[in-house]
Amino acid sequence: MIKNYLKIAWRNILHNKVYSAINILGLAAGMAVALIIGLWVINEFSYDKFLPNYKQLYQVNLHFTTQREEHTQTALAIPLAEVLRKEIPGIKYVAETDWVGWQYHDLLVGTKKLYVGGGAAHPDFLKIFEYPFVKGSAKDAFKDPYSIILDQATATALFGNADPMNKIIRFDNQQNLKVTGIIKDIPKNATKQFSFLTPFAFKEQTEGWMKSARTTWTNNSFNMYIELQPGVTAEQIAPKIKNLVYQHSVQMRPAKPEVILHAMMDWHLYSDFKMGKPVGGFIDYVRMFSIIGILVLLIACINFMNLSTARSEKRAREVGVRKAIGSQRSDLIAQFLAESVLITFIASLFSIVFVQLALPSFNTVIGSSIAIPFANPLFWIGMLLYVLFTGLLAGSRPAFYLSSFNPVTVLKGTFKVGKAASLPRKVLVVLQFSCSIALIISTVIVYQQIQYAKSRPTGYSSERLMVTDMSGDLANNYDALKNSLISSGVVESVAAASSPVTNIYSHMSLDKWPGKAADEESVNIGAIFVSDNYFKTLGMTLKEGHDFSSKWSDDTTSVILNEAAIKRIGLKDPINKLVTWNGSSGPVRIIGVVKDALMESPFTPVAPAIFSHGRGGNNVMYRLAPNVNTQDAIKKINKIFDTYNPAYPYIYQFVDDEYNHKFNLEVLVGKLAGVFAGLAIFISCLGLFGLAAYVAEQRTKEIGIRKVLGATIANVWLLLSRDFILLVLISCIIASPVAFYFLQGWLQKYDYRISIGPGVFLLSALVAIIITMITISFQAIKAALTNPVKSLRSE
Amino acid sequence: MLSLQHISKYYQVSGLKNYVLNDLSLEVDEGEFISIMGPSGSGKSTLLNVIGMLDDPSDGYHYFAGHAVHQLKEKQRSALYKQYIGFVFQAYHLIDELTVYENIETPLIYQDFKSSERKAMVADILDKFNIVGKKDLFPAQLSGGQQQLVGIARALIAKPKMLLADEPTGNLNSKQGEEIMELFRKLNREDKVTIIQVTHSEKNAEYGTRIINLLDGKIASSKKL
Ligand SMILES: Nc1ncnc2c1ncn2[C@@H]1O[C@H](COP(=O)(O)OP(=O)(O)OP(=O)(O)O)[C@@H](O)[C@H]1O
Ligand SMILES: [Mg+2]
Repeated sequence: MIKNYLKIAWRNILHNKVYSAINILGLAAGMAVALIIGLWVINEFSYDKFLPNYKQLYQVNLHFTTQREEHTQTALAIPLAEVLRKEIPGIKYVAETDWVGWQYHDLLVGTKKLYVGGGAAHPDFLKIFEYPFVKGSAKDAFKDPYSIILDQATATALFGNADPMNKIIRFDNQQNLKVTGIIKDIPKNATKQFSFLTPFAFKEQTEGWMKSARTTWTNNSFNMYIELQPGVTAEQIAPKIKNLVYQHSVQMRPAKPEVILHAMMDWHLYSDFKMGKPVGGFIDYVRMFSIIGILVLLIACINFMNLSTARSEKRAREVGVRKAIGSQRSDLIAQFLAESVLITFIASLFSIVFVQLALPSFNTVIGSSIAIPFANPLFWIGMLLYVLFTGLLAGSRPAFYLSSFNPVTVLKGTFKVGKAASLPRKVLVVLQFSCSIALIISTVIVYQQIQYAKSRPTGYSSERLMVTDMSGDLANNYDALKNSLISSGVVESVAAASSPVTNIYSHMSLDKWPGKAADEESVNIGAIFVSDNYFKTLGMTLKEGHDFSSKWSDDTTSVILNEAAIKRIGLKDPINKLVTWNGSSGPVRIIGVVKDALMESPFTPVAPAIFSHGRGGNNVMYRLAPNVNTQDAIKKINKIFDTYNPAYPYIYQFVDDEYNHKFNLEVLVGKLAGVFAGLAIFISCLGLFGLAAYVAEQRTKEIGIRKVLGATIANVWLLLSRDFILLVLISCIIASPVAFYFLQGWLQKYDYRISIGPGVFLLSALVAIIITMITISFQAIKAALTNPVKSLRSE
Repeated sequence: MLSLQHISKYYQVSGLKNYVLNDLSLEVDEGEFISIMGPSGSGKSTLLNVIGMLDDPSDGYHYFAGHAVHQLKEKQRSALYKQYIGFVFQAYHLIDELTVYENIETPLIYQDFKSSERKAMVADILDKFNIVGKKDLFPAQLSGGQQQLVGIARALIAKPKMLLADEPTGNLNSKQGEEIMELFRKLNREDKVTIIQVTHSEKNAEYGTRIINLLDGKIASSKKL
């Protein structure tokens, strides 16, 4: 029976080539979109699951509540580790670490130098995260503080094919570390990425500021991870650890610290905290694109339904005959479903090809490494279910509709598809176009929001501005470096600071200022220690007062505040007023107010910031002279850096690029929404094209008669297009408020956001109508141009 | 074998009942060959459709092979139909996408015959109708007469007890028509198939054992030959 069904289905496909092509292409595109989104979603959910014990692993976080805000941070003080280890039953391992992955250090082997991200971790880190060792073992790797483990890629980069075990690496050109282990490269779908690890003991022994860290509860500069005993849950542990910091540290009490756990399973998708609970994060986008994937698939299925029911007159006679020779309705339903499953199956093969072709660009855009798991039998089982599901979904309506025909009416030849059939079809077209138009609107809004934030004045000039970490000998050689850079002629201006232009690394508290109310809390303020020439180099302008002098020792009691800080503390005539902060021992004098500069998120208001004149700093900023060739300039600069910092490779960033990275997520969302909107409208139009062809064909005789009676091409075009354009207009009216509602919600994420005006909706409607007109005009004009004599004679 | 009692069929046209079959009663015995005649619009096709259970009467009692058809559910009716009845249409109504062979085979598929049985039965009937050479052609590649032969072969493949034919020769020339009528007579006499045909041709009607004249949905006359 099935064989018979499939045979007919196959012949039907061959018989109606254009119709079949539209159906298969549309379904294939829809299935490809859903498939690629499906693979992406699976990839997102696969994060951090490559380690055996991932379900029992947690990062320890700290939640604070103050008068003005509450927030959750990963930065903790070391003493907590010891308490967790010794006093809390149910915890198997505890590891304190620094910011693993974000600590950039210089690894030197002979003449090879690498400046890569890694970190320092307690030996139990390797027991918690059982990274597979290629050489060495988790047990022994950190026995000696002066050891280092590398991932394979870093090992190969440093040692080539030679065995790296027990070889010596010069670390920051200061210490010698022995390679005691090689781990497999960390997969891309892991939140924690690093190239090397050193024992935490090494960090404590070699970094001066670490001396008191082990006993200081207020030095929240570290991360902490735990593994729970098998069978122990986070819920059981939570009440036992909640108040540990509060109990042990009197100084921390005002901020009401609560120790909380963040499950490794949630790291990637649930990283936004509200009231100490992971409430969302990237999962929102995963959900959003899952919905889009389903919508696009639905749009493709609607095409199939519409074209099949539209063509029902052609199939009606077959239904009648079959019923008259003994077919039951269930036989016919089965037949039509078999047909749609066959078409879906063919479409699925195309969709796999499409996905395979699209994956490289998709991976580049979203920075992933998704591949179709051809070798995985689960994939094929999944595909099979996918085909069945899509086939049954797309085929259900045609099957039930077509099989319901009465054989007598059909065979008498009086059968006409009535209004009853075309109404659901119209509803489906409206549904299709509503989805497509909503996607278009979303794309436009996302781009508007990005553009809006990008065009926001930054308060500094990023043009030709470069940043390099102040590593190795640079801090000591800073003055000489600066002079050489300037005298080389390719650099216009040089400055140093404790934070790069596009970030603020440290926050302090502004405790006293004139006019502060008694019960007012201190202000959390971004603190930047800057060299002289800082504002000039960055292109920031002083609103009042004056810049720091060129001798930093003159300025030890002077600070410059930004406008936001002045506004926050409500200071009138700030110049020469005294304030107190925890960056200096005594009160300091405000010597200047600088205009707000956008150093953190481009979507939030500029936060209060304080600038203090200091030596050293973490970053060197320098602006290229105008009209120099960038490549040549970088070569020259490279040489100068090499002279003053020979052990380190020269690594630089353009501030422009760094700034643009802040829009990565939004640009990604915009790009994906754009691509999917394009595909949705393409598939919808494909369906419309088919419907228009059908309508034109169905009305050939009518058009012939009308033409004989004197209708012009324009009359005929209007006749055939009017209905469709009306449907698209209705879709615009439905899509606009729905899109408005969701986008308004999305924009709430951003403090600095556009307000949605009517323009987008009008524009999207216009675009949709133009696309519709182009799609159907082809058929309408073709019908209008047909010689009426021909079409009438064939009747 | 068949008994229609007080059968009426009407269409509601702007509130008025428009009777197509009007209180019509008819008895048909096994082995009869009935020709139904009457002017266009008199309800011949409607009557045939009712007999063939493709159409429901609005009123009346319908007994067939010992079953009260008017009380049966769709599924049972369909089973009864499959078991007893073959239908031939004026417009042949072959399925364009199927070959001659497959068209004839289709009813057997619906009746769950095994593949080997189907092969034998189709081969048999192709042979009987002398169309073995055409078995792999599609309907569009056949003449009208040939198509109707296939239609009849298809109606007969499952060995029905009753053959219903609505103007089977309507689209054929007289020679082709005569051949079909000869075939019907043979089926009726040798294979004991009960036949009810609708026809406009006196000559073709004469092949039957009884002629019924229909007028305005009523039997105007009935004459045994
Ligand atoms: N769906 C319908 N609605 C209203 N009237 C109908 C419908 N179907 C058939 N009729 C009417 O029923 C009457 C009988 O039709 P039927 O097809 O049985 O005639 P017939 O005797 O077979 O005619 P012909 O010789 O032309 O085939 C006709 O007058 C027709 O108008
Ligand atoms: Mg008729």
